[in-house]
Amino acid sequence: MNAIADLMRPQRSTGRASVAIATRRGRAAIAGLHQAGSAKAMYLPGAGGPEVVFLNTSGGLTGRDRLRYALDLGSGLRATATTQTAERAYRAVGDPAHVRVRHSVGAGAHLDWLPQETILFQGARLRRETQIDLTGDATCLLLEAVVLGRAAMGERVSRLEFTDRRMISRDGVPLFAEPLRLTGEALAAGAAVLAGARAIATLVLVAPDAADRLEAARAILDEPGVRAGASAFDGKLVVRLMAGDGWPLRRQILRALAVLRPGRLPRVWQT
Amino acid sequence: MLTPAHLTLVQWLSPAFPTGAFAYSHGLEQEIASGTVHDRASLEAWLGNILRFGAGWQDAVLLCLALRAGADTRALDAHARALQPSAERLGETLDQGRAMARCVSAVGGPPVEAGPLPLVLGRAAAGLNLRRAEVAALYLQGFVTNLAVIAVRHVPLGQSEGQRVISALQPLIVELAGAAADAGPDDLANAALSADLAAMRHETMDVRIFRT
Repeated sequence: MNAIADLMRPQRSTGRASVAIATRRGRAAIAGLHQAGSAKAMYLPGAGGPEVVFLNTSGGLTGRDRLRYALDLGSGLRATATTQTAERAYRAVGDPAHVRVRHSVGAGAHLDWLPQETILFQGARLRRETQIDLTGDATCLLLEAVVLGRAAMGERVSRLEFTDRRMISRDGVPLFAEPLRLTGEALAAGAAVLAGARAIATLVLVAPDAADRLEAARAILDEPGVRAGASAFDGKLVVRLMAGDGWPLRRQILRALAVLRPGRLPRVWQT
Repeated sequence: MLTPAHLTLVQWLSPAFPTGAFAYSHGLEQEIASGTVHDRASLEAWLGNILRFGAGWQDAVLLCLALRAGADTRALDAHARALQPSAERLGETLDQGRAMARCVSAVGGPPVEAGPLPLVLGRAAAGLNLRRAEVAALYLQGFVTNLAVIAVRHVPLGQSEGQRVISALQPLIVELAGAAADAGPDDLANAALSADLAAMRHETMDVRIFRT
């Protein structure tokens, strides 16, 4: 099935979608939209702030693919950005796929960057860089979830090369840096690395009152099949989740989002 | 050829140098309590993972970056802080960094700004003009020795079993230190997610001896 999908896809796809949101007549509105190649972005207005949904129409990532998403959120606004579906990284021969996500959040604004999970298949090679630039007192919530193969389909991933650099900075100063790098060697390493987990997630809330949510976050970290922890420091709250498969991970993510992000879930996360 | 500079570095990284390293288990206390680390083999595997995939590699890269002429102290400090996975691990590197800066100058070494431990050591050792790979190897051996001693007391293990673990990890230490010597900021990488989770869960352990 994957082999057929590989054959039917063009050798290389590129996509670039960028959205700018600014205040127009007292409310959030699209100030810029650029879409090229396989990348699309949808803008959904909502009472709790707009939702921007990015989509890669190529059906997944493989060698030499290039994908870029960007959102520029104006001062004082609140928005949620996510992806339409899980991103799939398939076996890549030769050069890896490159994905670059760069969001900027204006002073006083808040961005929730809640992409759906990334599913890595056997032999995947993907380099992704996610950077959220906060200005002044801007705040954000970042979620990254990664699933190794589909356990329900009996897939076992033993070979891959995945570099996933996540960075949040404020006025150019790094606040959060997580340069995740998973290789076949790391997958086989053992107790201090994945310890058998096939699905992992990190949630980071950067806000002056982030530590106030620590107890509430810890209280819901009891989803069966998930090992979880939370810590608050340096103006951020970090939650880490590890599970044997994507479903318990997703259930725990939804419960964590309810604590870290009051209000209705983004539409694509409502299952 | 062994020089006085080598001896100075060995002194700074000696368990007798009062940086308080003995108070930090890097999440090992939680891993011993949960049974993940329970004998010599599991200790060696866990420490090997930390070295290759976790803070060992990251600290060695940071240390080598700080040893370079013209290193950007503020940018490196902010990056190293941002890399810490939990409140206690941030304390582990900052508290020991502060103590290292104080102790180095107290024994006649250069005055250096406090900050994350590997960066403080890098700033202090820059003037010793030693090879970066040598400084990184001695740093990693000190890191592993501290944790092995903790395991000997708390798993518990025989003294010589703990020392055997250190011996077994030395080829890996030399390999990683050599690679870290020429690494850049983009080579910073982490996969030791279970160890990071253990460090977080250590915060809520009922009975704790160590600060991490």
